[in-house]
Amino acid sequence: MAGSNEVNLSESKMVVPLNMWVLISNFKLKYNLLRRPDGTFNRHLAEFLDRKVPANANPVDGIFSFDVIIDRATNLLCRIYRPAFTEEPQPSLSDLEKPVDAEFVPVIVFFHGGSFAHSSTNSAIYDTLCRRLVGICKAIVVSVNYRRAPENRCPCAYDDGWSALKWVSSRSWLQSKIDSKVHIFLAGDSSGGNIVHSVALRAAEAEIEVSGNILLNPMFSGEERTESEKKLDGKYFVGLRDRDWYWRAFLPEGENRDHPACNPFGPRGKSLEGIKFPKSLVVVAGLDLIQDWQLAYAKGLEKAGQKVKLLFLEQATIGFYLLPNNDHFYTVMDEISSFVNPDG
Amino acid sequence: MKRDHGDTCNGAYGGGGSGAPKGESLSSSIPASGKAKMVMWGEDGQDPCGGGGGGMDELLAALGYKVRSSDMADVAQKLEQLEMVMGTAQEDGISHLSYDTVHYNPSDLSSWVQSMLSELNPPPQQLAHPVLAPAESSSTVTQHHHSHTGSQSQTQTQSQVIFNDDSESTRPVVLVDMQEAGVRLVHTLMACAEAVQQENLKLADALVKHIGLLAVSQNGAMRKVATYFAEALARRIYRIYPHDGGLDSSCSNDILQMHFYETCPYLKFAHFTANQAILEAFANASRVHVIDFGLKQGMQWPALMQALALRPGGPPAFRLTGIGPPQPDNTDALQRVGWKLAQLADTIGVEFEFRGFVANSLADLEPAMLDIRPPEVETVAVNSVFELHRLLTRSGAIDKVLSSIKAMRPKIVTMVEQEADHNGPVFVDRFTEALHYYSSLFDSLEGSGVTSPSQDLVMSEMYLGRQICNVVACEGPDRVERHETLAQWQARMGSAGFDPVHLGSNAFKQASMLLALFAGGEGYRVEENNGCLMLGWHTRPLIATSAWQLAATQ
Repeated sequence: MAGSNEVNLSESKMVVPLNMWVLISNFKLKYNLLRRPDGTFNRHLAEFLDRKVPANANPVDGIFSFDVIIDRATNLLCRIYRPAFTEEPQPSLSDLEKPVDAEFVPVIVFFHGGSFAHSSTNSAIYDTLCRRLVGICKAIVVSVNYRRAPENRCPCAYDDGWSALKWVSSRSWLQSKIDSKVHIFLAGDSSGGNIVHSVALRAAEAEIEVSGNILLNPMFSGEERTESEKKLDGKYFVGLRDRDWYWRAFLPEGENRDHPACNPFGPRGKSLEGIKFPKSLVVVAGLDLIQDWQLAYAKGLEKAGQKVKLLFLEQATIGFYLLPNNDHFYTVMDEISSFVNPDG
Repeated sequence: MKRDHGDTCNGAYGGGGSGAPKGESLSSSIPASGKAKMVMWGEDGQDPCGGGGGGMDELLAALGYKVRSSDMADVAQKLEQLEMVMGTAQEDGISHLSYDTVHYNPSDLSSWVQSMLSELNPPPQQLAHPVLAPAESSSTVTQHHHSHTGSQSQTQTQSQVIFNDDSESTRPVVLVDMQEAGVRLVHTLMACAEAVQQENLKLADALVKHIGLLAVSQNGAMRKVATYFAEALARRIYRIYPHDGGLDSSCSNDILQMHFYETCPYLKFAHFTANQAILEAFANASRVHVIDFGLKQGMQWPALMQALALRPGGPPAFRLTGIGPPQPDNTDALQRVGWKLAQLADTIGVEFEFRGFVANSLADLEPAMLDIRPPEVETVAVNSVFELHRLLTRSGAIDKVLSSIKAMRPKIVTMVEQEADHNGPVFVDRFTEALHYYSSLFDSLEGSGVTSPSQDLVMSEMYLGRQICNVVACEGPDRVERHETLAQWQARMGSAGFDPVHLGSNAFKQASMLLALFAGGEGYRVEENNGCLMLGWHTRPLIATSAWQLAATQ
């Protein structure tokens, strides 16, 4: 037992920079403490351990942020990141929602990861990631603080995503000057990627236009155990036991992993044929044990006649995009930038 | 392989760290003060894992974890050990790490991992393994706390010595979705502040009147905040400064504070978290002495006394020294409070002694006056809730008081302050900061479930309104609401010879549970920050509790 664990540990250490290994292992071990076998979650300890940062209306490296309660009734909060205005070093309170000045500005509605249970909009890892997205894509990012499992099961996160999408699409100050429309892209990592799919589906049905979906290591699964799951179980920070726990925590009570929220192209999935679904960029890490499901998702979109670009990063592990000290980070950021800008 | 991404990272943000040269890079606590620089892979030939030798890894610092680059391999090894031990302990359960263990200062990753390893005694068959050396500290929680703190204090002190007051600060903003009219109102408030700063009093006057009109059309928190700020601006313009903090002295601040205490959790949180730290410091002491820098109605002390009374083995003898300002009607307010607490002590069986000291300023105190007994005889705690910032009015006052505190040889110093930068030199900046801060505060009152009109709510608003007036309308010795941020206080305390005592996950949890008892509690959040606890409204921290001890070298 101890022997095979040792092998696993050194394998993951060899494929990522040391500080990234430390970061992700730290999360892995802490998360182990938070998940209880009975399906409950130590939320207080989770919030204590999570490293958070407040919004900052003073620009840092050319980007400022501010939080908005977009729905008082549900306390749904979003953090908005914007490039600093050239004329004013410090935007005043009344300028935070100043109308966009450019001909075209992509607005990325971002759903943070955390397997539906962990992290928040103000988690340092996600605040940092969103700021990088603004800088690299020249976009405005709206990060959604959706309700988490197990306290709030499916479809709460989707409902919050949907509320945020509606709010964003109705802000006149977010309209690009070229056509007075808000150009929305949905993006998310892990559970956030899963949310992107559901929200996009709802948008398509309600005829709200979404220009594109970005799914970074999206969280999907199914009842079947795939090759990649068997091969990579426990090898690169993630194991099936924890994956199963999170699905049990998120999916409605009594449901299994073939529920369409988990397995959109599975036996209970809905056909996307003929639906005006946004183009998708699906990023898959080659050392992620759920890659077979992610690849199947991309395939499913393709088969339904939807536009999809698959980016498969062979030696990438989960969380590679949290630090900018690896090639994969830049590859993905470049792709996302092209994806959200008109000539991309 | 290495790509030049100078462009793409220009707009990218690294929260902690600073633009300091290699080898001296440091991390700052979060919320960050000061600009951050991202370490680029390949840029300047820097090591991809961080800023060189003695410095913190900047990339991890940006994410809230302080790990020296030189310690990275060691931390990695400890994480491996921890995983192995957690893995083999699975049968016995590692649940006590989650339920019982108190966690401290998660940003100090090295210490955290070490403390986890110490908690989990390795099973016998693992002892032969060369990687798992016996932990240097004991595995019990209590003892571990103190040695744990010691090592962390060192880290903290080092980073604080370099920590300066930066001209750039963080401006956290939480907006409730504003309508068009709200935006115009804020715009006008800002324009008025600008006009005042530029001494264009005619324009300022016109704008202040306009604000009054706009405010009427608003609802709830926005209307109230705007009204208070407008009034404060008017006072500044017409130079009608209230003296000594009383707008309408017929309503004493103590009374207003009591209503504030009832309406929202800020004071309760302050008292609760400070008491937690005091209780922990008083463990095993047989005679204890609390010096309260602002006794007021003594609302903090019944809970502490009751907790002491319930101590296994019986309560210690409890001495309370309460300090307060002279009363306008010359009554002995302090003695009255002392008397009530004495009665309580009597009913719960705690030996109690009280002394009151009247002082215009804490800087007037001489430790010798307080008759403090030596550490072998009594354990001393110094407590200050929203008092220290007043000392920033006069140069030298805070330093004198901090020296006095040291002379009292306390086991612990508990401090609660507003988490805001209301003491900057530029008026417009101060105004903006205050507008953000009090908007969040009023918002939280609005969501507090107290139905308007209620006396409690109105009084609470007046309590805050007086602070607004002081921040905006007053200058010089009259301006006493000189709030500064936790980061600023940490630097000051560190320079003055204090080391942090960390508040842990148990205090965090209980404080969170306390909040849930308040209607509208959903908006309130507790956050851990470098061993301190902060209470905020949604994502905006509003008050911070920190605890301190004399530095090892003192």
